[in-house]
Amino acid sequence: MTHHDSPAVELTALTKSFPGRAGAVQAVRGIDLTVDRGEVVAFLGPNGAGKTTTLDLVLGLTSPTSGGVRVLGQSPRDAVRAGRVSAVLQTGGLLRDLTVRETVELIASTYAVHAPVDDVLRRANLTTVTSRKVSKCSGGEQQRLRFALALLPDPELLILDEPTAGMDVSARHTFWDSMHAEAAAGRTILFATHYLEEADSFAGRIVLVAGGRVVADGPTDVIRGRALGRTVAARLDLDLVDAAVSHLRSLAAVHEVRVDRDRLTVTTSDSDAVARALLNGLAARDLEVTTGSLESAFLALTGTTDTASEGAAA
Amino acid sequence: MTATTMTSPDRRPGPGRATPELGTTRREARSRGERTAYVRLELRRTVRDLVTMFFVVGLPAFMYVLFGASAGYSQENAGNGNVALYVMISMAAYGAVTATVGIGGTAAVERMQGWGRQLGLTPLRDGTYVATKAVVALVVAALPILVVYVLGVLTGAEGTATAWLGSAAILVVGAVMFALYGLVFGLAFRSESAVTAAGGSLVVLGFLGNIFFPLSGILLDIARFTPLYGYVSLARYPLTEGHVVDSQGGLVHEALWMSVTNVAVWTGIFAVLATWLVRRSRGRQ
Repeated sequence: MTHHDSPAVELTALTKSFPGRAGAVQAVRGIDLTVDRGEVVAFLGPNGAGKTTTLDLVLGLTSPTSGGVRVLGQSPRDAVRAGRVSAVLQTGGLLRDLTVRETVELIASTYAVHAPVDDVLRRANLTTVTSRKVSKCSGGEQQRLRFALALLPDPELLILDEPTAGMDVSARHTFWDSMHAEAAAGRTILFATHYLEEADSFAGRIVLVAGGRVVADGPTDVIRGRALGRTVAARLDLDLVDAAVSHLRSLAAVHEVRVDRDRLTVTTSDSDAVARALLNGLAARDLEVTTGSLESAFLALTGTTDTASEGAAA
Repeated sequence: MTATTMTSPDRRPGPGRATPELGTTRREARSRGERTAYVRLELRRTVRDLVTMFFVVGLPAFMYVLFGASAGYSQENAGNGNVALYVMISMAAYGAVTATVGIGGTAAVERMQGWGRQLGLTPLRDGTYVATKAVVALVVAALPILVVYVLGVLTGAEGTATAWLGSAAILVVGAVMFALYGLVFGLAFRSESAVTAAGGSLVVLGFLGNIFFPLSGILLDIARFTPLYGYVSLARYPLTEGHVVDSQGGLVHEALWMSVTNVAVWTGIFAVLATWLVRRSRGRQ
């Protein structure tokens, strides 16, 4: 079988639990996800959402407790062996006493065929530090080295777990610039992050995870609106509440309106417009505008309090 | 005349012409994986670690010169050779096991510190990884043996060809069991300092192994059950044929099966421990 039409990643009812002191810890609690070829998908969630565990399962570094994983129509391990998938891991250890070039040569030797060493060093922006020892490299340089290693098999699917953790702003920019070039070359990219800005500026689709489950999945602009939105709360006269709710719900920038007796809580991407409508036309009092954190956005999206606060192992 | 002879090769179609290559332009350049690169880079890594190299090569060579070559008893008979050869084998053994303990230990530690995850993203199989490390261990173990034996040749160590070559072969192959010893330390304590401690413990095992000076009496009886004792006495067998000099200068004879059993039992113990520790660390993933 050639598997040319199969999706890049296909997860079905995937679960993973680890034995812990106080019984099993469920890191992944049933994830269904399909990533098509050519997509750039952000796996967005707070620490402990189960992102790293899910990516480990996709890469065959650990095996699922139940459920299925297919990568490019193959088992994860087969896809890795064939060099069709590779990854930049959050905590991928490097050998500190090797130089940058030696590290690339060492990993290159494990593949039957690979992209030329000089080529990946250039693409990962490492040409000026090739003879530097890994122990003398900055966090950003080490991360770019992991990226260079991931480019060696010329993979169809590239997985990145918190790729810019520990980088400063300019290193982050440089990193995402080189990633844009790889995406433009037609690679499927699945990356985990807890920075909404990164997901927003780079991914075409965001999969929001919390407590080991997918809590939202959709095009970036839609998810961003819901997650980045501000909350406007105000008190109204009781007899105006119904009319206010229906008016607010008709506004495009409004995602959600909740009512608690005379108090309205509006989630919106345009807090100015909502505030204006409430104050001018509806004689609102005690108006408050708050920016939700990502965590509170997760809570809003799941509508529950337990999933995100439980903090399953990452 | 000259013009026609110069242009004629160009008219000839042949493999040297550029056109056939143009048809096979590839999307991306590809290189072949170099199978030997892993071993080569691992060797380079080990050899340029000067502190390790001092303990592996420098110290045994120095001790041989001190206790073997320049000692007054060096030319006395020790079976199929002289005492210098006897001391030479002992010191080479110490260097060889120091090398393999270090390699086994760092292999365990680097895998647990995340390099294992990095290798998990490549087609490299566990078996290939172990084989690679074993080759590196054998080559590095051969270094002190080579250096000390060359010093032996230059400083008057004498013996039959069997004594020289047999002992060298046993030293190289037997040193691999101490890679398991290092592996056990690395797996159990998960830190670089544990590997250093494992190397340090070899000094104690070296004394008990009858390597640095001859033991006798009850200490010799206990020493027979320690791992380095079996390894060294096996390596000395081609020279002494089982005779051991004790600290009073007397001769004690030991049967071959004692050394063989010692090596076999300890190799078994290290292998079982290493396997158990690998299973334990897998369960935690």
